Amino acid sequence: MDVTRPRVFITGAGAATAAGIGVAPLWEAAREGRSAVGPLELARPLRSNIRIGAQIRGFDPAAHIESGVLAFCDRFTQFAVVAGDEALAQAGLARGERLGPRTATIVGTGIGGADTIELGMHNAYVTGQRVDPWSVPRLMPNGAASQLSARYGAQGPSFAVASACASGTQAIGLGAHFIRAGLVDRAIVGGAEACITASGMKGWEALRVLSPDFCRPFSKDRNGMVLGEGAGIFVLESEEAARRRGAEPLAELCGYGTSSDAADIVRPDASGAASAMSQALDDAGLPPGAIGYVNAHGTGTLANDAAEAAALHRVFGEGLRRLPVSSTKPIHGHGLGAGGAIELAVTLMALRAGIAPPTANWTTPDPKCDLDCVPGQAREVAMRYAMSNSFAFGGINAVLVLGQP
Amino acid sequence: MSTETKENILSDPQRVYDQVVDLIVTEGMVDRDKVTPEATFDTLGLKSIDIVMILTAVEEKFDVYIPMDGSIAEARDLKSFIDGVLQRIASEKN
Repeated sequence: MDVTRPRVFITGAGAATAAGIGVAPLWEAAREGRSAVGPLELARPLRSNIRIGAQIRGFDPAAHIESGVLAFCDRFTQFAVVAGDEALAQAGLARGERLGPRTATIVGTGIGGADTIELGMHNAYVTGQRVDPWSVPRLMPNGAASQLSARYGAQGPSFAVASACASGTQAIGLGAHFIRAGLVDRAIVGGAEACITASGMKGWEALRVLSPDFCRPFSKDRNGMVLGEGAGIFVLESEEAARRRGAEPLAELCGYGTSSDAADIVRPDASGAASAMSQALDDAGLPPGAIGYVNAHGTGTLANDAAEAAALHRVFGEGLRRLPVSSTKPIHGHGLGAGGAIELAVTLMALRAGIAPPTANWTTPDPKCDLDCVPGQAREVAMRYAMSNSFAFGGINAVLVLGQP
Repeated sequence: MSTETKENILSDPQRVYDQVVDLIVTEGMVDRDKVTPEATFDTLGLKSIDIVMILTAVEEKFDVYIPMDGSIAEARDLKSFIDGVLQRIASEKN
């Protein structure tokens, strides 16, 4: 490891998921293996045989966001703001103080304002009603990043990362790179997504990757993923910046690796996934044996889980027998652009608690997924380092490694 | 919301004025008794976000397009704002 490189710490974490608002309900649900998947509730009619998703129910954005700001916030941005408020509060950074030019804001999203896009189309083509005058700022994929930047006066680099299901993970990794490069001292990073809409569901359904009943990662009887929505937001700080403020680090973000398969756009590739994991380990200066827990991408599709298991075998070899690897997607759903960020919050809590959360809904071993996926119940695991994987359509692989602070 | 016919709009300017005021009250969420010619955006607490909502509603009600030209963009008091809007409606319908 390059000793002159600034170390990057997580000083705040926030989440909004189907399990509830906050990291605490998310971690509790993940630890207990309690799924937040339920019957779909949609604003507009959906003709489909897929009727389940992990939605945030009873969410009242007006309880969290001022009306003058809320008008500009699509649902994905609302989640980002709520999760951001939690992360910044935990980091001890109040809304009153402007963070200034040395703070970046980088938030990933797969789609951006899906609900605003769909409603605009619906009004334009179906009902003839007026289109919301704030459609453009609501639907733009950088809406979440820009709202958080404005909310906290973060005047450094601000942008969205759009790389499908790797968006959140790449945004977090990029934030760490910006800090290491000395461009900023601090970064508000994460991912947000809210694309469980009638038309969005049809698109996913057409790809034949959705399960009509259960998300069962690594299980022989798995039949697809279940969509989720939400956000995960973190405050990253250089060691120096955190120490100056007397902020307590929750974990160190010690490694980030990302790669592109440069091959098939929708079929996962074990070598690309393995390469991203190896890069993340190299970046952290760690041997594979140092990792105590892996939060897998584990979507529950036939192709992903087999490819991910093969990649894990390449990277960890014999050590994979002793390594707990679980997917928490049966709990919070596949959060797409928010997925990696939501799962990093789970990974952070797993690291801090010394507990590997279970892979819920797992029933039957699959020789193609020959790994210890912590079926049934959470397990106590003493760990110094944990890994979180995200693999995306487009052939994008992104991996983060966290360490005890 | 029904769109006003051209004849209706041109034959009864007072009614058009009242309808524009109605939209200011509902879309801008202001008390009707505060809507006087000397009222300003500031005294009514109208921000740019409210003005956009009002203009959108006017466009819909009268089936017109209101470009942000000087007369409307620079208005800070209700009288010049409403005058600009009425002028625009009349010129589109003529």
